[in-house]
Amino acid sequence: MDDRVIIRFDHVTKQYDDDLPVLDDVSFEMERGKFYTLLGPSGCGKTTILRLIAGFIEPTKGDIYFHGKRMNNVPANKRQVNTVFQDYALFPHLNVFENVAFGLRIKKVPKVDIERKVKEALRFVNLEGYEQRAIHEMSGGQRQRVAIARAIVNEPDVLLLDEPLSALDLKLRTEMQYELRELQRRLGITFIFVTHDQEEALAMSDEIFVLNKGKIEQRGTPKDIYDEPVNRFVADFIGESNIITGTMIDDFVVEFANQRFTCIDRGFAKNEQVDIVIRPEDLELTTVERGKLRVRVDSVLFRGVHYELCCYDAYGNEWLVHSTKKAEIGEEIGLHFEPEAIHVMKRNGGE
Amino acid sequence: MRRYAYAIPYWLWIGLFVVAPIILIIYYSFFDIEGHFSLVNYQTFFTPVYLRMTVNSFWYAFLITACSLLIAYPTAYLLTKTKHKQLWLLLIILPTWVNLLLKAYAFLGLFGTYGAVNALFETIGIGTKQLLFTDFSFVFVSVYIFIPFMILPIFNALEKLNPSLIDASRDLGASEWTTFRRVIFPLTLDGVKAGCQAVFIPSLSLFMLTRLIAGNRVITLGTAVEQHFLVTQNWGMGATIAVFLMIAMAGIMALTGNRKWGVRQ
Repeated sequence: MDDRVIIRFDHVTKQYDDDLPVLDDVSFEMERGKFYTLLGPSGCGKTTILRLIAGFIEPTKGDIYFHGKRMNNVPANKRQVNTVFQDYALFPHLNVFENVAFGLRIKKVPKVDIERKVKEALRFVNLEGYEQRAIHEMSGGQRQRVAIARAIVNEPDVLLLDEPLSALDLKLRTEMQYELRELQRRLGITFIFVTHDQEEALAMSDEIFVLNKGKIEQRGTPKDIYDEPVNRFVADFIGESNIITGTMIDDFVVEFANQRFTCIDRGFAKNEQVDIVIRPEDLELTTVERGKLRVRVDSVLFRGVHYELCCYDAYGNEWLVHSTKKAEIGEEIGLHFEPEAIHVMKRNGGE
Repeated sequence: MRRYAYAIPYWLWIGLFVVAPIILIIYYSFFDIEGHFSLVNYQTFFTPVYLRMTVNSFWYAFLITACSLLIAYPTAYLLTKTKHKQLWLLLIILPTWVNLLLKAYAFLGLFGTYGAVNALFETIGIGTKQLLFTDFSFVFVSVYIFIPFMILPIFNALEKLNPSLIDASRDLGASEWTTFRRVIFPLTLDGVKAGCQAVFIPSLSLFMLTRLIAGNRVITLGTAVEQHFLVTQNWGMGATIAVFLMIAMAGIMALTGNRKWGVRQ
């Protein structure tokens, strides 16, 4: 077996009582030293995967392997995994130093080493000099850093992060995204990051798992997922997009909006019904004569970086366009796009 | 100054039912049995008889509090884990609505020579035992009566505890016992303190149970106060003991409740 694999899920199902399974027969592998993101709407099972890895819950069916060893019944305190919790879960009765030292004290690390390691961990997260502070004296961002320091000081093989940025304001969140990514590179350990924010996932990850209803819909690099979503759910969840139904006439020829277009997809059955995705930023505003599509502008929103135009074609399809050019409401415009911009997906399912 | 007007009922209440009785008790404590002003009561309090009684009271109050805590903490902990915790909690609180005297009499029936407990002992072959009028039965019944007051604050403290703190502790390598010792217990200490206050202070001045259940074998300061006021009619001495009881209670409050008067969070 490949020894780069650090975590393996083998047909894992988690079910509470007789409810629908939260996690439904999931199998995957994760490699050492990568930044993984579990992305999905609430209730999709992403936190369940995290809790299974941490050891807070046990799978109903299936096996979990760490370094090739089955870990199903190993309790949380015996796993080489540490977690940064959504609410940070810092101990309110201990100061910053003692919070970070907690894991080391339990492992009976010599006092001198504790002192050194805690200082080092706090320097890592830019919190030098805060050792004696009480937790309630720290701001949200600082608490976040303490939580990270408390986890990494134990030198885990895997660091689990459960929506750790969701409680921060936008500016701080963006800042922490950079810092987390940087931290992962410096430490070289596996990060598993749970979020429902697709921008966060795209910005930080080596690989993204998109989850829905207890199943992995797609896994791949941010670019894969963004450019080649396998189905409507992924395309919709990963970013704003135009999803319309169409027919695959032949290899490299697709029909939608009552017109035929050249595309770069193939391997579908003749005349198969498909979903078409075109990203709003791939649509280019042009004159009616030069456009491949002819649409009428319904609304215009100024978004700062670009205008967001909502248009309708003659067949009632909605087209979202991101453009730096402005158009008037009610105006007839043309839309131009490249063959590469057309992403063809099978109806309800994988590619 | 309407704000002060609203406070009048409060101050009236405090004045009539808290301050005035305390002043009265202190006033009475300076009169001997013939009604002459003197400090003789205070002298008497420091004689071996009363000092032993004081030690006794503290000892039994301590025993009752310790036993209650030992039973109440695990009970409260299990209670937070059960499905219908509000129902279970209600069942625990329910007995406090029954009059103390009735409960004491119920135990007289249960623990008596021909009571249910002895009948059970007889059938399983242990034989009839003297249960009533022993230290054991006194502590047992007192614990039974006070335990809801210990469970409630501990239960509340455990309920307020953020469950992800327990996950965090386990995640950082702590076993269940270490998690309890280093996280759960320290964070519920306020509940424990409140519970100890609610049990220790009233059990310091218990009087009726000492007579009914312990058959006057246990003589505490509470019993002494009752006897002086009702039997010997030595109000001065009774008031003096009451003064010392109040001092002791204030001391305990200060010791266990430091959070409330200390630095605000």
